[in-house]
Amino acid sequence: MRSFNLLYWILWKDILSEIRNRAALVSMLFFALNIILIFSVSFSMSDLEEMMPGLIWTAFGFTAVIGLSTSFVAETHNQCLEYYRLLPTPKGMIYLGKLCGNLLFIVIVGLALLPLFVLFLGLHVRQLSWLIAVVFLGALGLANLGTLFSALTVNLRAREVLFPLLLLPLSVPVFIGATEATAGILRGAPQAAYRHWLDLLGIFDLIFTLLSFWMFEWILDE
Amino acid sequence: MSGLILKLRRFEGVTGFLAFLLMTCGLYLGLVTSPPDFYQGEIVRIMYIHVPFAKTALLAYTLLFAGSLWYLWRRDPVVDNLCHAAAGISFFFTLIALITGAIWAKPAWGTWWSWDPKLTAFLILWMVEAGYLMLRTMIEDAEQRARYAAIVAIVGFVDLPIVYLAAEWWRTLHQPLSISTRGLSLSREMLTPLALMSIGLDVLLMYLLMIRTQMLYLEHLFAAKQGRLLAHRLRDRHEATDPNE
Repeated sequence: MRSFNLLYWILWKDILSEIRNRAALVSMLFFALNIILIFSVSFSMSDLEEMMPGLIWTAFGFTAVIGLSTSFVAETHNQCLEYYRLLPTPKGMIYLGKLCGNLLFIVIVGLALLPLFVLFLGLHVRQLSWLIAVVFLGALGLANLGTLFSALTVNLRAREVLFPLLLLPLSVPVFIGATEATAGILRGAPQAAYRHWLDLLGIFDLIFTLLSFWMFEWILDE
Repeated sequence: MSGLILKLRRFEGVTGFLAFLLMTCGLYLGLVTSPPDFYQGEIVRIMYIHVPFAKTALLAYTLLFAGSLWYLWRRDPVVDNLCHAAAGISFFFTLIALITGAIWAKPAWGTWWSWDPKLTAFLILWMVEAGYLMLRTMIEDAEQRARYAAIVAIVGFVDLPIVYLAAEWWRTLHQPLSISTRGLSLSREMLTPLALMSIGLDVLLMYLLMIRTQMLYLEHLFAAKQGRLLAHRLRDRHEATDPNE
């Protein structure tokens, strides 16, 4: 029970600090807007339909990298990580708390991206509830590895460089699965046609939540 | 573990010689006496380089994974040296497999690169190893470096089958390969050099691992000794200038 309290308080602390300084969400949203701007000047509008799922996930992926890379920076102030080490609960619960916070922020940004795509790039949204499910599953996959590697690289000299270098190759299954599922949804295909991509995302999320939960014990170890 | 290294040192020369012998025989049989392929002609000879390097790179990464688990369990610094050695060797073997693969793919498939599951998985493997080696250069503290590197190696090892699966589904839904690699069953004249090269490279891997692990272990000792010397010197200087003495 104490572990779940910890999860709740870490999540609440992240939400509160985000409400107060709005650093992560605002920077992610403006970054996403910049990517959309670059897309709209570098591609012709006529063949956007075909590339739309790829564009959505490219924009979302890089935006998530911006948000996730700084996720643990605040924890280095005032020796927060040292206090985490002293907690008597399993260290994985700290991971789950941070994961929930990160997931919340990048899902918000992912959902905010869709109206931007509708507005600037002429996206036709179909099967909205399934689209939201794909955004959620993809975001969970990115947030899983992102939270783990963010904790791992937080004290390094070249954190900004190394973080995407570790995260992006390993999240290739997320990008393949999410792009294909989004393509199926935007084509208006029946659910059976893209169901297995959702399964792939689900399996990836499950495996890496468990693995990261277990690995986090060694990240905070001294 | 350091005792094991000392024991294994005796076999170092033998292992190196055996690897040289096996690979020389394998290369001679593969490049000179084996027949050209019915469909691919002389091009097929690159197989005797490409396939063994790819297999041995995977073997080295599997060793890295096992060593990383072992390190997290026992915290033996020599195992960390072994992991570092395995990662470096696997990185170069994967690179050679990727390059020879591209050279083979151009005449065989008509393109340098195709996003087939194996190629995709190997590219990701190579990038993970690059990330692993870069991470190692950026952490000063030896214990923390070993721990973090082990985590990256384990996560990468779990990820690779999923990458393969995702790429396989992705490919089969988009377009089948123009030329299937499956139709290539091997005759005895081709299998012998391939097997010799494979075993030869595995032995070479063992040899390189021994040398490299020792080197890294000595570097580790040297750094520790340097640290101690520096500490002594600082203390001496401090005592010499201390006004209370």
